[in-house]
Amino acid sequence: MPELPELNPVIHGKLRLALLSLLVGVDAAEFTWLREKTGATDGNLGAQLMKLEEAGYVSVEKKFMLRKPQTLYRMTEAGRAALTEYVTALKQLLGAAI
Amino acid sequence: MANEMDGRELAERVRLIESMMAEGRRKQESWGWTFVLWGVAYYIAFFWSWLGRFAYAWPVTMIAAGVLTGVIFRRRHGRNPETTLGRAIGSIWTAMGLSMFIVLCAMGYSGRYSNGHAMIAVFAGMLGLANAACSMTLRWRAQFICALLWWATAVAACYCGDALLLPIFLAALFFGQIVFGGGMMIAESRRRKQSGASHA
Repeated sequence: MPELPELNPVIHGKLRLALLSLLVGVDAAEFTWLREKTGATDGNLGAQLMKLEEAGYVSVEKKFMLRKPQTLYRMTEAGRAALTEYVTALKQLLGAAI
Repeated sequence: MANEMDGRELAERVRLIESMMAEGRRKQESWGWTFVLWGVAYYIAFFWSWLGRFAYAWPVTMIAAGVLTGVIFRRRHGRNPETTLGRAIGSIWTAMGLSMFIVLCAMGYSGRYSNGHAMIAVFAGMLGLANAACSMTLRWRAQFICALLWWATAVAACYCGDALLLPIFLAALFFGQIVFGGGMMIAESRRRKQSGASHA
């Protein structure tokens, strides 16, 4: 019997998984937009985004737009590859569970 | 860790990925107002130049409409993330606007404006190109009909008599910009009500 794959623990957290799934469809997203879509609190969202940033899965850009601070998050190539790998592993595990 | 999870928890993760991807890609742009705004701007520029102020009418109106588009866009969509599709559509219209501005200004200031048929044919041809490119990108038939209208206007401008040129151009502006944009705005408003969105 083939060995079942391990799921990436950085991605597996519900909020982190939701964030990467949101970011995969857009070029860049603002912190406020991510908060609105996930319904997370500022503190939790910031902490989870920092974990993703530390893992190299998202990049952060801080700038000013019309004199207002704006924090933009982008998915990196490493993040895209990790999410693809995670989904593949998930499919394999689901196949084994059925 | 994963091996200890049951099938239900795994399926929940799959649903989470699907729903978040759909949320991220949900169409948030509303473009109907830009068609109406530019349709009105073309009318203003046209009638202004008809009053004999060609040197100012088109450049001033087009620049004002461009600035107004930018301001309204920022206010309405500033917080929404940019998607590749949104950038592609925006690029088509920006490139078309710049081409039209450069070519029509050059035609006007070089004195070639005296040939109104050529002017309207170029104008309509460019609008046909932009609408067709967008309709193909979005796979949206209604906009391709709009492109056909503009191409037909370009051909008609080449062949029609002087007396018909103005009515054809004004009718194309009305149907291709105002009616099409108004229809889009109604459809977008219905879509927003259905999805329960309170913004954008």
